[in-house]
Amino acid sequence: MSADRLIKLELSKLNVHLPQRRLSLKEALLSAKPQVVTRDGGVHKFKREELEFLAGLLPEADRDKLQLPILIALEPKLGRGTARISGEAEVKVVSRVLEKEPAAGELLIYRPEVAILRRKLPTTTQYLFLW
Amino acid sequence: MAMAIAVYPTRMELLKLRQRVGLAQRGHDLLKEKVDALVIEFFEVVRRIQEARAKALEQLSAAHRALLMCFAIMGTLETKQASKEAKRELQVEISTRHIMGIAVPTVEVGEVERNALMRGYSLRMTSSVLDEASREFERALKLLIGLAELEGSAFAIARELERTKRRVNALEYILIPRLKEALKFIVMKLDEIERENFSRLKRIKAMLEERE
Repeated sequence: MSADRLIKLELSKLNVHLPQRRLSLKEALLSAKPQVVTRDGGVHKFKREELEFLAGLLPEADRDKLQLPILIALEPKLGRGTARISGEAEVKVVSRVLEKEPAAGELLIYRPEVAILRRKLPTTTQYLFLW
Repeated sequence: MAMAIAVYPTRMELLKLRQRVGLAQRGHDLLKEKVDALVIEFFEVVRRIQEARAKALEQLSAAHRALLMCFAIMGTLETKQASKEAKRELQVEISTRHIMGIAVPTVEVGEVERNALMRGYSLRMTSSVLDEASREFERALKLLIGLAELEGSAFAIARELERTKRRVNALEYILIPRLKEALKFIVMKLDEIERENFSRLKRIKAMLEERE
């Protein structure tokens, strides 16, 4: 296989762990088995204690706005180790988890914060690779 | 030094090479981001393994202490006899979850601790210290199952980390330098052709002026 095809293959596999359809926090809380189907056909399960932790951070009206998993977008053009969180409810939750100033619509976080976020929300966050 | 790729010094080849360098650079940057993310995951799992191992070892030593008490109070032969009578079937569900496309094991286990009646040995012939030792071992078993899940995850992440790092290094130290070398060669060759044309034109112009 040529090097170019190998790179393209690697790039095409980077986001296969992402869900085909995201689930709102409200739907996840109501579901008996809170889970999503990933692009490669696998199943990604959410831990109920994490869902309850997230529900505690958001007012009830915002629970259907929070889409799960929360995507931590890694984009090389932002600089190495910088990640972007998009979405109003997602930014609100992540700001509260990281105890940061809430931003409007979009939040940039850095590698140590990504580590903290992944430690606190291992199943309800996922990496998204953008280029 | 990276060995250059054999290319024809044409403008078409130059355009193709620029695209290839762009793709390789993009692949390299993204895979490097993936390596960073995998390192975060790996260290998190290692941290959890350390905690889980410490807890499991502590629980195991408590269990062994309880067993020694049991040997001392009930007697070695009686304890061994009771252990042979005890029966256990544990329902363990092993599935996988995905971290960045890596399948890591997830072990779901039902209640490991049981009451004395369910263990299978005779309550009339045994002491309560045996119940205590059994309970401690059951707690240790639950912790060991959790530890096995974490260690499986660490192995899977480490394997993927090694594979991705190898790809990043191949791009960084072999492919991209070779492509850049080839690109430089074509640019230099095209510049040289342009300079040759320029001097040829000047020479023709001078010859034409001389003839007039």
